[in-house]
Amino acid sequence: METGGSSESPVETKKPKSKTPRKPKESALKQKSPAEFFAENKNIAGFDNPGKSLYTTVRELVENALDSAESISELPVVEITIEEIGKSKFNSMIGLIDRERIDEALYDDFETAKAREKRLAKEARVQEIQAKNAALGKKVKEQVAIKAIKGRGEASFYRVTCKDNGKGMPHDDIPNMFGRVLSGTKYGLKQTRGKFGLGAKMALIWSKMSTGLPIEISSSMKGQNYVSFCRLDIDIHRNIPHIHLHEKRDNKERCHGAEIQVVIEGNWTTYRSKILHYMRQMAVITPYAQFLFSFVSDTSDKNVSIKFARRTDIMPPVPLETKYHPSAVDLLLIKRLIAETSKQNLLQLLQHEFVNIGKAYAERLIGEMGPDFSPKMLVKSLTSQQLVRIHQLFRQAKFDDPSGDCLSPAGEYNLRLGIIKELHPDMVATYSGSAQVFEGHPFIVEAGVSVGGKDVKQGLNIFRFANRIPLLFEQGADVVTRTALKRINWNSYKINQTQDKIGVFVSIVSTKIPFKGTGKEYIGDDISEIASAVKVGLSILKNFSRLLEIYRLTALRLQTSIQQCCIQLKSKIVKKIQAREQQERKRNLSKYIPDATNAIYEVLKEMTHLHASKKRRYEDKDAELLSKVSARLITKDTLREKLAQHVEQVDYEMALEYATQSGVKEEPRENIYLQLLEAEKDFIDFHGPVFVFRLFQ
Amino acid sequence: MSDKRKRRRPDPDSDSDTRPFKHLLKPDTTILSSLRTLASSSAAASSSKTLTLSDLRLSAACREVSDLPPSAVQSAIESLAVSLARSILSGQGFSFTVPSRSSANQLYVPELDRIVLKDKTSLRPYSSVSTVRKTTITTRILHLIHQLCLKNIHVTKRDLFYTDVKLFQDQTQSDAVLDDVSCIVGCTRSSLNVVAAEKGVVVGRLIFSDNGDMIDCTKMGMGGKAIPPNIDRVGDMKSDALFILLVEKDAAYMRLAEDRFYNRFPCIIVTAKGQPDVATRLFLRKMKMELKLPVLALVDSDPYGLKILSVYGCGSKNMSYDSANLTTPDIKWLGIRPSDLDKYKIPEQCRLPMTEQDIKTGKDLLEEDFVKKNPGWVEELNLMVKSKQKAEIQALSSFGFQYLSEVYLPLKLQQRDWL
Repeated sequence: METGGSSESPVETKKPKSKTPRKPKESALKQKSPAEFFAENKNIAGFDNPGKSLYTTVRELVENALDSAESISELPVVEITIEEIGKSKFNSMIGLIDRERIDEALYDDFETAKAREKRLAKEARVQEIQAKNAALGKKVKEQVAIKAIKGRGEASFYRVTCKDNGKGMPHDDIPNMFGRVLSGTKYGLKQTRGKFGLGAKMALIWSKMSTGLPIEISSSMKGQNYVSFCRLDIDIHRNIPHIHLHEKRDNKERCHGAEIQVVIEGNWTTYRSKILHYMRQMAVITPYAQFLFSFVSDTSDKNVSIKFARRTDIMPPVPLETKYHPSAVDLLLIKRLIAETSKQNLLQLLQHEFVNIGKAYAERLIGEMGPDFSPKMLVKSLTSQQLVRIHQLFRQAKFDDPSGDCLSPAGEYNLRLGIIKELHPDMVATYSGSAQVFEGHPFIVEAGVSVGGKDVKQGLNIFRFANRIPLLFEQGADVVTRTALKRINWNSYKINQTQDKIGVFVSIVSTKIPFKGTGKEYIGDDISEIASAVKVGLSILKNFSRLLEIYRLTALRLQTSIQQCCIQLKSKIVKKIQAREQQERKRNLSKYIPDATNAIYEVLKEMTHLHASKKRRYEDKDAELLSKVSARLITKDTLREKLAQHVEQVDYEMALEYATQSGVKEEPRENIYLQLLEAEKDFIDFHGPVFVFRLFQ
Repeated sequence: MSDKRKRRRPDPDSDSDTRPFKHLLKPDTTILSSLRTLASSSAAASSSKTLTLSDLRLSAACREVSDLPPSAVQSAIESLAVSLARSILSGQGFSFTVPSRSSANQLYVPELDRIVLKDKTSLRPYSSVSTVRKTTITTRILHLIHQLCLKNIHVTKRDLFYTDVKLFQDQTQSDAVLDDVSCIVGCTRSSLNVVAAEKGVVVGRLIFSDNGDMIDCTKMGMGGKAIPPNIDRVGDMKSDALFILLVEKDAAYMRLAEDRFYNRFPCIIVTAKGQPDVATRLFLRKMKMELKLPVLALVDSDPYGLKILSVYGCGSKNMSYDSANLTTPDIKWLGIRPSDLDKYKIPEQCRLPMTEQDIKTGKDLLEEDFVKKNPGWVEELNLMVKSKQKAEIQALSSFGFQYLSEVYLPLKLQQRDWL
């Protein structure tokens, strides 16, 4: 959770009711707050239905937690717990008394006499069949309990808790960070995980819509001797936080980080696999983090508890904030930059607010703009026509490509470790491309291909990541999927596309990957009016198509990346096939001995019959053999033994040949990571280029 | 052709019938007389002795198989079995020498107008991981064939497969080995007493005997007579037809059979419903050889249509070892040809764009010798690849279901429009 320069954290929000929000004058024209807009269009943020909402809530909280820990270079430890809350428990939580139904027929799930008759008949039939099966001694699998008919309004509620060891949040900023949609400070140009400008707030809006319960946050920053505790909900109409409790408590353990707890309506049954997939893929792309995921419910057999252990302590660097590339800006953005800049004149603006424009180049650009431009002219005095001219020139002029230095890819090493850690594949290959540019935004594609592994289904398993978060939905149309399916000839790499368990991992990082849902770059922090809210909605759509465009551009890149991985794998696979052949040769060769010898022997036997009955004449040499067969000097077993001997000999020769060819060399082993038993650091590392000097205290 | 159009007579039906080109049709008697000349010229042409491989004295040695009686097949298998047993007893394991049926080992002989197999062979040893399965299957098939010859009965490929499903695993494997065995023994596949299930059908002006029963193909109902799998039991072919019409698809065949096209223009209609099987190819060849009728082909206007045509004409690569018995020389490509699409104004919505795969197949076909030898075919195929459009026979149904039998085919025949 970022707090950088939270300029917008007015203290008066502590008693928000007293202050009327800044509203333009009253008129028939109705206005909506951004919170209202998102409450009504919650699907664009991934809150389409209760199940998806549960999923999105989990991922928003996890991603926030990771960001928070990474921002202080702390190896992330994230605990996420989903607790199922039954209806009566929920009612007692909100202080509602459970009422017995009095008028049964009033309810939607009321069983009419006719329906009951039908049901009883069906149950009787089932029992009859079971009895029959039992009598026949058939093993019947446990009859699935007939599902209770779920009536309308029978919602399931969940308490989602996420605890991290991150940076924590400043005490006074907490209400605004959660209770005001589209507030935040990280709207700069930077590779970021994603939706968190909106995410936690959307979870709060959803909880308010579905349960009415507030969100609870406790947070502590490094070196603080207290824990900030805050219970709040959001005033959707005014887009301001509504605080129930905001206090400082004792921090006995001296830990840092945040714990967020929210009670929402959800659907665990249908989104269970999605959530678990998400956690697993997250563990793949962030092997340096430790995740503890647990699901708790009243029925203990549904409980899930998974620990995704840390596998490395090397973290990718924190992505740097960068300035805009001239070819990446639009008119609106130029206006905003001018409004925000501290630079006085045009020359300084060009030189300092954009990348890849030096002083000399800025002067050339200004010269090109026309006679009514000059280097010393004040930026605030630029007319809209002039801005359009600047924009046009930015579009047409040639600029150096932005460098990928500001990006923080997962890294080949981490990607590889993640794959090994979570999938335990037989083989893995990874590849990292160099930075490429699309519309002024740099991007890096990394890819991995694995073969085999546990819990991997046969065929292609595709794992997509954008800015180091997993993408789970709408896989079919995705270009990664299409590339892997159509443009890669797996056969030529000795990989069987339908039989082998193939994992394809593609990670794209960029300063601008607009996700389906919310694209944060376009949501300015000054937006508080409806007009802009609608624009947000539009830009979201635009972003989505942009994402596809990026993908299309990267398709070729992807193809080469995946192919690179396959080439690496091919030599491994060939070796492996040889080794396997080595092991299985004798078994395979011996397997067919009975079939082959039987067939030959049967023909011989037929011949002896014919020979004996004088139906056919055979040559002397053949006749000799046949008489041996009829005298049982040569039997089925003789042939079998002789062939087995031959196989033995061939096997020995080939093993010898293999050994001389391949030598005793074996595959290089993977380094293993031993987790520290005690996380506490009581030493100092001095890193030299060739050694590490560790000083224990 | 253009002067023929000038001579056309006014058709009383032309006002009521709006189907395109209907007015071009002349009375059936005119068409029939032209067909008669075709039939007689065809009979004259085929009376000359057909060439055989040995007549040619080719530089490369070629492999051909012949029909062998069961006893000959039996003794061939027996001597093979004895030699295998000897080899095993001497501690050498065993191996087969199998003629290679890969495309590198095929040769198109323009003089014969068919594909033949060259004499390259490959060794199939038991004691190699890559061939052990195939070798075992080969011995097993040899054993089964030996039994068939001994008892002199016929089974289908499916029967053969089911005798040892566990070993063969799937039918393609036993089928492939069966062809290998034909090559090893040097006999046709029918000599192995293994037949494929019935696939082809025939209808029209043909009378023949099937295992002693006389069959009149005009009285076989709409579906026609299934082509018997054992060609050696077929004989006494008689016909008053003027030509044989080879149809690619079942649907077009049904249309023609139901409309009794063979009564309007005496002909024999044959289809193998897609890629032709051995029985249909043998049957077609037998008809052509005995009745000396011209063969006209009606296939889709796509690369696969031409491919099917080539299989009837020049043989398939898979069974090139027996191309002498399986191919029917001098098949004319009647329709639907790429040039017909525009000539008969087939509407755009009935034409399909060719896929990349189609275009590739088309271009590959252009490289094949059996296409190159016929300049007319090359031209048509070039047109297809260039226009990137294909059409099925059914595209003609856009002018009415009976357009095929009532306008298109008669017109084609009248114009002698075949290649």
